[in-house]
Amino acid sequence: MGRFWRLVGAAVLALFSLLALAQEEEDPVKEAEKQKKQLLEQSGGVLPSDLFVAQGEQLFKTKRGPKNASLEACDFGRGPGKLEGVVGRLPRYFFDTRKVEDLDSRIRTCMVRLQGFQPQEIRRSEVVAIAFYLASLSNEQPVTVRPLMPQEKKLYELGEQLFYLRAGPRDMGCATCHVTYVGKRAGVLPYSDILKDKRAASHWPAFRYSNDQAWTMADRIRACYANLGMPAPDLYSEPIIALTLFMNTQARGARMDLPGFIR
Amino acid sequence: MRRLYLPTLLLMLLGLASGQTGQSYINAELQRLIQAGGQSYANTLLRQAPDQALCSIHRNKLPAEVLGPFIEEQRKSIKYPADGKLMGDWKQGEPIFNTLARGNCFSCHVGSPLNIGGNVGPSLEKYGQRGTSEAMQKYTYEVIYNTWAYFPCTVMYRFGHGGLLKPEEIAHVVAYLLDPASDFNTKPALKR
Repeated sequence: MGRFWRLVGAAVLALFSLLALAQEEEDPVKEAEKQKKQLLEQSGGVLPSDLFVAQGEQLFKTKRGPKNASLEACDFGRGPGKLEGVVGRLPRYFFDTRKVEDLDSRIRTCMVRLQGFQPQEIRRSEVVAIAFYLASLSNEQPVTVRPLMPQEKKLYELGEQLFYLRAGPRDMGCATCHVTYVGKRAGVLPYSDILKDKRAASHWPAFRYSNDQAWTMADRIRACYANLGMPAPDLYSEPIIALTLFMNTQARGARMDLPGFIR
Repeated sequence: MRRLYLPTLLLMLLGLASGQTGQSYINAELQRLIQAGGQSYANTLLRQAPDQALCSIHRNKLPAEVLGPFIEEQRKSIKYPADGKLMGDWKQGEPIFNTLARGNCFSCHVGSPLNIGGNVGPSLEKYGQRGTSEAMQKYTYEVIYNTWAYFPCTVMYRFGHGGLLKPEEIAHVVAYLLDPASDFNTKPALKR
């Protein structure tokens, strides 16, 4: 009898460890953590995202552009030059532009207004690097996006409508995957749960270790469209800001992990 | 912005001409937002079809009173190969099933011996066990041609309806799934 129970015990233990193993393979968050650790070990403590942050800091603090000014006086919603935690407060309405702006578009606004750049001469790679620098100053801060101004409420509503809209030859729509098939895989990664998992929107901007890319939420949204054979909305355009406002509001209360490190 | 008015107006007239009377999802404000995303983005989204609008309005869960007429409409859109053969050549179906930019079937379905399958759709492992009866061929063909005739508002592309695959190409995919000689049925499926 004793031996029988020992055998049963061993079998149950084996089953549990197998389940644990299977789960470890399934969870993309754990997989990303493992990759992060590996990269840190290989590089002696420097992550690729740190390089973007450093580049962004330099771009932010250097006097540049026709007006020979830095971006240090830029107001991201907490007042000029107050940068901590701002990523978790965007998108929001700004009185000076009379627009709801997200992180990307606000950086662009300041490059135009403070430094005197023409919108069309602003380099995307610079905006992304600056976004990474700001992200590093928002790490572990909470997401607090809450549409209160009428302009924010309106854009939130439109963002939600856009999220559920289906169109194109593949009947594409965000909700079709990110609500109905949450956790399922089409390819390598499971679909994130935009409505219920606060982590989904709270790790952007992020570095993607699988293809060495620095992405903001805008790049993520555009890739979603492109993956399904749809033309993507222009960078800095209102549909991107509306979708980001909708998604970041779902993430309210999350502690941000920035810059994100994902597959 | 001004340049957008003409195409939009033309689209609206086209909509009227083709007798679209269905509920529309895109109101004036949403239309203005979409137009701000750029011309090619707007051209695709503003061309939303009435059935896509219904799925958007009901967030992919159609109420009972809409369901009947919706399915009937979808069924009507299904066209068949000119030679009437619903099972083509499995060897031509294989690359369609297994290519991202063509069928992209493997991304969501388990069953291919060439690619690791996803789990968004049901597993199709050894699909050929169902036999090659006329009913089975017809069902398989129609689900690929227009899946909304069976699963309204599901995520799977309506390959024939959306013009992504020709009827003959769909018949090749049907053969890849059903032909007992197909690698799909004789070789083990790749799973993660």
